[in-house]
Amino acid sequence: MTFLAFLLAALPTLGTQFKQLPAGKGKAQVEAACYACHSADLLAQQRLTAKQWTATVEKMMKWGAAVQPADKQVVIDYLAKHFGPANKFTPTATKPVGK
Amino acid sequence: MDRRSFLRLCALAGLAPSAVLAASHAQPRMLQMNGYPINAETPLELLTDYLTPAELFFVRSHWLPRMPDPKTWKLTVDGDVAKPLTLTLADLKKLPRAEATCVLQCSGNGRALHNPTLPGVQWRYGAVGNARWSGVRVRTILEAANVKPSAKHLHLFSSDDPPGKVPPFRRSIELEKALADAIVAFEMNGAPLPPQHGAPLRLVVPGWAGDHWMKWLVRISAQPQPQTGFYMDTAYRWPNNVGAPGVAFKPEEMHPVTELFVKSNITTAPASAHVGTPVDIRGFAFSGVPDIAKVELSDDDGATWRAATLDPRHDPYAWRLWSYRWTPKRTGSAMLFVRATDIKGNSQPREAIWNQSGYLYNAWHSATIEVKA
Repeated sequence: MTFLAFLLAALPTLGTQFKQLPAGKGKAQVEAACYACHSADLLAQQRLTAKQWTATVEKMMKWGAAVQPADKQVVIDYLAKHFGPANKFTPTATKPVGK
Repeated sequence: MDRRSFLRLCALAGLAPSAVLAASHAQPRMLQMNGYPINAETPLELLTDYLTPAELFFVRSHWLPRMPDPKTWKLTVDGDVAKPLTLTLADLKKLPRAEATCVLQCSGNGRALHNPTLPGVQWRYGAVGNARWSGVRVRTILEAANVKPSAKHLHLFSSDDPPGKVPPFRRSIELEKALADAIVAFEMNGAPLPPQHGAPLRLVVPGWAGDHWMKWLVRISAQPQPQTGFYMDTAYRWPNNVGAPGVAFKPEEMHPVTELFVKSNITTAPASAHVGTPVDIRGFAFSGVPDIAKVELSDDDGATWRAATLDPRHDPYAWRLWSYRWTPKRTGSAMLFVRATDIKGNSQPREAIWNQSGYLYNAWHSATIEVKA
């Protein structure tokens, strides 16, 4: 089964919503780097220090995230600014999964 | 179009991969922790049944899964076995059937409640559920394959390969545990296992954390040594000697997370009550050992405790529903704490043990009730 065929087959089971990241310098680079594997929620719920974000971004780059070396600090700064330790996150209510 | 291109297209178009928008206040509902891959937890107030319905059962996905095609799917059994096997779903269904009703909890359930804060899915309370899993005992399969005495670990492989250079999610469990009570399940609560829960086949490891419950299983391999790789050597590990909050350890100073910690949660409590008028508090309790001995509540900050009534329904490693009738004695904001103790005497602590990946949170849970005259 090709990946696309699988994904189309799986879509009805998802039933989730797509969140947008807040505007700001670095948003485009973050989207380009992160959306290939996961949606914005996973970023938006974090409450990490700049040091923790640096470690996370470096881990993701090692795993293939598309971050140009020149953009690395821009990505870290965006994430640390918007999703630092004081960040508040409320999960979105969704329909039952697979129903 | 490949996976990455497709997702990028979705993202650029501002589309949900599913294009399905849910009514935000509809009941019943789930709490979305991530849109894709889907990660969702159950609101605590919906975890009131002995068996958690599949569609309300929490979903954990590391990445968009490459689910097997059920028509061509087979389970390979190899490694230190005298007779390697390749089993279809029809083959499995001809073997003696086994069932287990037990709790599945994500290792990271409660990660969001740890302080200092930690990276990862910020699960709060609802990455847990109790279901009836049906399939075949791992012992039955390994005996059919004539597993050799040299085998000490069971390596687990799924079709769920990750994108790019991300390490694959590969795990192993001690053969002793696999032989004792693990099941490969093709049914959940009496119906075919749903895709998001691992169809056509997942591992069930009663009493152990969810990272062992491999979904979309395609191969089990009996081996003399544990599996290696990121998800064994770095992730899902617990410190050998617990440190203070914020203290991180090297992987070699840690060991794999296995048994769940004793835990209870309040699912049902009124927001307000009146002095002298009883109200019912309800919840669930479970542990990494087969049963709970007692659940207690305190309305005086843990100075004194009174026993809740345990529901008679029980299976080994399943949760116990409990109820407690509380009569407020004074006006004001009352905080009720709950704690559980299992049959081995393990008791839920007031504070959970902080650990660098935020696993196995099990602090006393509480509900606040405004008491009026």
